[in-house]
Amino acid sequence: MTQQTWDEVGGLLPHDEFRAASEAIVANIEQVIEGKTATVRLALAVLLAEGHLLIEDVPGVGKTKLAKALARSIDCTVRRIQFTPDLLPSDVTGVSVYNQETHDFEFRPGAVFANLVVGDEINRASPKTQSALLECMEERQVTVDGVTYQLQTPFMVIATQNPIEMEGTYPLPEAQRDRFTARIAMGYPDANAELAMLDGHGATDPLNELRAVSDAAIVRQLIATVRQVHVADAVKQYAIDLVTATRETPDLRLGASPRATLQLLRTARAVAALEGRDYVLPDDLQALAVPVLAHRIIPTADAQLARRTTDAIVSELVHRLPLPHDRQRNPYDTRPATGNGRAPYEPRRP
Amino acid sequence: MISSRNIGVVAALATLLAAAPLSAIFQGWTWLIESIIAVAVVAGVAALTRLARAPLWGQVLGMLAGLMFALTWLFPSGKELFAILPTPGTFSYFGDLLAGSMQDMRSYGVEVPDTDPLLFIAVLGVGGVAVLVDVLAVGLRRPALAGLPMLAIYSVPVAVYVDSVPAVPFVVGAAGYLWLLVTDNVDRVRRFGRRFTGDGRDVDVWEASPLASAGRRLAIVGVALAVVLPLAVPGMTGGLLDSLSRGPGNGTGNGSGSGGTSGRIDLFASLAGQLNQSQVTELVKVTTTEPNPFYLRYAVADELRSTGFQARNPSGRPANRDLPNPADRAGRGVQQTSHRATVEVTKNLSMALMPVYAEPVRTEDLNGNWLYDDSQQVIFSNRENSRGRKYSFDYIRSTFTPAALRAAPALPTDHPVRRQLTATPGAVPEVEELVKTLVQGKRTDYDRVLAIYQHFSADNGFSYRLSTESGSSGQDIVDFLTNKVGYCQQYAAAMAWLVRSAGIPARVAFGFTNGSNRDGDTFTLTNLNLHAWTEVYFDGAGWVPFDATPAYGVPGSTRSTWAPDNDAPEPTTPGGGVAGTPTGPEASAGPSGPDNADQDIDDGLSLGGTTPTEQPPVWPWWAAGLLALLALLAVPALRRTALRRRRGGQAASGALALASVDDGTEPGTRPVVVGVDANRARADAHAAWAELLDTLVDFRVPVDPTETPRATADRLVRDALDEDPAVIGSARLLGRAEERARYARDPLTGEQLLPALRALRGALAARADRRTRLLAAVLPPSVLLRWRTGLADSSGRMVALTGQARHHLLRWNPRRLLANRAAR
Repeated sequence: MTQQTWDEVGGLLPHDEFRAASEAIVANIEQVIEGKTATVRLALAVLLAEGHLLIEDVPGVGKTKLAKALARSIDCTVRRIQFTPDLLPSDVTGVSVYNQETHDFEFRPGAVFANLVVGDEINRASPKTQSALLECMEERQVTVDGVTYQLQTPFMVIATQNPIEMEGTYPLPEAQRDRFTARIAMGYPDANAELAMLDGHGATDPLNELRAVSDAAIVRQLIATVRQVHVADAVKQYAIDLVTATRETPDLRLGASPRATLQLLRTARAVAALEGRDYVLPDDLQALAVPVLAHRIIPTADAQLARRTTDAIVSELVHRLPLPHDRQRNPYDTRPATGNGRAPYEPRRP
Repeated sequence: MISSRNIGVVAALATLLAAAPLSAIFQGWTWLIESIIAVAVVAGVAALTRLARAPLWGQVLGMLAGLMFALTWLFPSGKELFAILPTPGTFSYFGDLLAGSMQDMRSYGVEVPDTDPLLFIAVLGVGGVAVLVDVLAVGLRRPALAGLPMLAIYSVPVAVYVDSVPAVPFVVGAAGYLWLLVTDNVDRVRRFGRRFTGDGRDVDVWEASPLASAGRRLAIVGVALAVVLPLAVPGMTGGLLDSLSRGPGNGTGNGSGSGGTSGRIDLFASLAGQLNQSQVTELVKVTTTEPNPFYLRYAVADELRSTGFQARNPSGRPANRDLPNPADRAGRGVQQTSHRATVEVTKNLSMALMPVYAEPVRTEDLNGNWLYDDSQQVIFSNRENSRGRKYSFDYIRSTFTPAALRAAPALPTDHPVRRQLTATPGAVPEVEELVKTLVQGKRTDYDRVLAIYQHFSADNGFSYRLSTESGSSGQDIVDFLTNKVGYCQQYAAAMAWLVRSAGIPARVAFGFTNGSNRDGDTFTLTNLNLHAWTEVYFDGAGWVPFDATPAYGVPGSTRSTWAPDNDAPEPTTPGGGVAGTPTGPEASAGPSGPDNADQDIDDGLSLGGTTPTEQPPVWPWWAAGLLALLALLAVPALRRTALRRRRGGQAASGALALASVDDGTEPGTRPVVVGVDANRARADAHAAWAELLDTLVDFRVPVDPTETPRATADRLVRDALDEDPAVIGSARLLGRAEERARYARDPLTGEQLLPALRALRGALAARADRRTRLLAAVLPPSVLLRWRTGLADSSGRMVALTGQARHHLLRWNPRRLLANRAAR
């Protein structure tokens, strides 16, 4: 097996080639998923940000189709795992089996040994099996029987789940959710797109006719290019402000993790590159805040009682948080520059 | 138990603090040590009895017994058992001490020496107060009532010092009382149980209760009311302050009060106050057997400080005994004649001093409370005042021949009189120089004094006028010597100062001239006859008066052979007759006020100062005020213009740099473009963006600090601008330039930002209504907002700083330290 390690990404792509390659992938996917350009681009951005994607929506809106279309557009190894309640961790990671010919144990790689792993209905597997993904998603390696196997680059897990059903499902634990870079919802197509879908998909499944327009090498180059996108200090500060706000707002019981900060900025780089910029804007962070942050955080009981979703809470934070200024204090920010002036009291001695 | 023991200790300490006013009575500090012992015994016994859970009456009995033991030990009679157990002999000794204390109180003036009877009564009083305070504060838990016995201690110096009581001891005593109240209330609050702040946090033991802020507010309001209310009530101000600061008056309220009382009040100030009164008040009626007496005197200022001449506290012996007879100074050119005078003080003169002629030898009708100070030659009292008194005295009038004074030897430098009464507070160069010139070539003291005396003559340009500034400090003297205009106060003080500078003892005497109202042997003296003159000490002759004040200014002035009238050749006759009734209708008609300062005593010779001063026209002030107001109003607009120009200038300078780099053509002719230099381009974009934001604020387009430049530009295009592609392009260009300047590696270059800005401003102005446009031009909201934000920032920083300071200070909170110690 030719192993491509994590840091061995390809060379940089010039601006035009980057644009052509990325547009080709997007256009290819759009043959299958009509009228969802933003969602498709976000999915691609997550791939280029070296992240993992969680697609969450009601049944029948094309979650699996998006995942498969993305996988097919890139000529690379693709594995699909149908998460069922009886799926075992070894089915995901691989297993050592006894080879009677060699009289030795040999490792049979599981489904994660691929560039793109499509995990369908991930919340139908037991937490035990879901946990098998923890190591490979974050560390891009699999450890079986004490032996660690590196995964290839690109490596991306695209998981789908259905948020409606309660019975027979196991909600993803926080640690698992935190490993997904972004959660996107498909949403219903608009009337025109639905009409086009009826016309196009009536006879054949367009997925079958989908050809790969890219391959792993190009994707590695794309990733390398995305890594070069400039992030100004003010933007970094804004990302930190945003994440800190989720930790400090009284509506949330659990705020976003430092990993979330990192992935937010990476995804923002990818989005900026897809838009043809070589620098990240706060606008990118604002647009990505809900997909990247909302699935990681846990609202307080009060917020839940008030039926406030995490999406709403995050977007409200975005609308409240002033931009950091890299030059001087923003004169239109009328909040006092310092705290409330009260010195903190020392904790009471026992 | 712990808390009540704590309050007991505080009660004892508060009692000691409240005893502080006694320090004004005693010369030494023995009373304090003995009081501490007595109070400590009382407090200790109280604590012990409470430990034994004795009832309140038991505690009182215990404390009284403890006080008794302490007194027995402190004031031994030699008859007690084991030094502390009193016997009947002890009590009879205590009785003797009490009787003796009455005697001592009568015989000693303040400050009293440490005599046993006085110490005994002081310690007994303080100990008794300690018992009372303890019973009230700890036994009955009514510490507020404990203020009454504490106040009783303070009333002692109040009773002794009729006029002014030192304030510091009262503050000390009040602090003790407040401490007691605070301790009790803190204890009371703690009894509620745990204290909470508003945010549900426990309050530490050392922290102030959250209730404390309400208390502080109440206290501040109370103190402010107590201070402001008397000032606001006119009657109280007039009555209270005037009677404290002004001299004797007519009793009608305006300018009433007591004149130069004992030495504590500035004699000069009261003199000036009296002379400037428009109303004439009879103060003294004196009848004497002397045909042409010299002035009647009542006080002396012989202490020269940097603030001027001041009176010392007189001290002496009862005036109803035999007084020192100056007969030993007779002969050698000093003539002495004996006379008798009767003085009748009217009800308008109330002071602790008695006017007498110099050197009384025997007095009648004065009781033992009146004392005679031999060195100052004044009769004074610490208890009584002169109001309505009538008394007689024999006195000896000394007259001197110039020859005798010339013969008087100079005092040796170590002579006590010379040492004490030639002191001047630091050399005043002008005075030194003048004295040097005057006394040059004069061989005897008398010649020197005479030279100085004659310096104050009309020939030298000196004139009399009441309206000068009063004062006798070094600076005032120089002013007087330069301006040469003044009245008796300046003349007397200046001459005394000069004579002292020449090394001859001198002082300022206060009294009455002979006035202008003479009926046979009887002189009726009014407040306008008050006067001050100089007295010079000659060995063998004693104190010799010199009156340097021009005679024409002083009705009833008297000259002597040794000090002839400087201005005698002057055709002006002494204005005695003229000034006899200075209360002309115009004087009494005018209200007493600053005008009276110009009112000269001798109307006949007044310097025409009554012509009204010219009123300056008022309109320039109005115009200036209006201009200032306009200038003030123009400040925001000017600031806005300056900002805009600076921002424009940034871009222009960038263009200039570009121009010089490119081809060096005339910089002004090129279109303004963003410079090639990345930093400059960034600065230009920022300046343009800041200007755009300010413009938005000016035209009341909302500015959202959470918006990115791109979003702001989009919103402008969407909401605030007409669909003019050029304007829309301008908005997007500015947004893009700022965005690139802030976030990209390379800023946008080569774009014309200033025209875009101008186009945008024009579009915004076109959409705004007239009022907005006017305000944007005159009072730009952006500048006001900036100032407001700056103000809020600085005040926020200040609050934060004070909060930190408070936090740091709280580390040293004594209650916190105590709490820490208790925890260990």
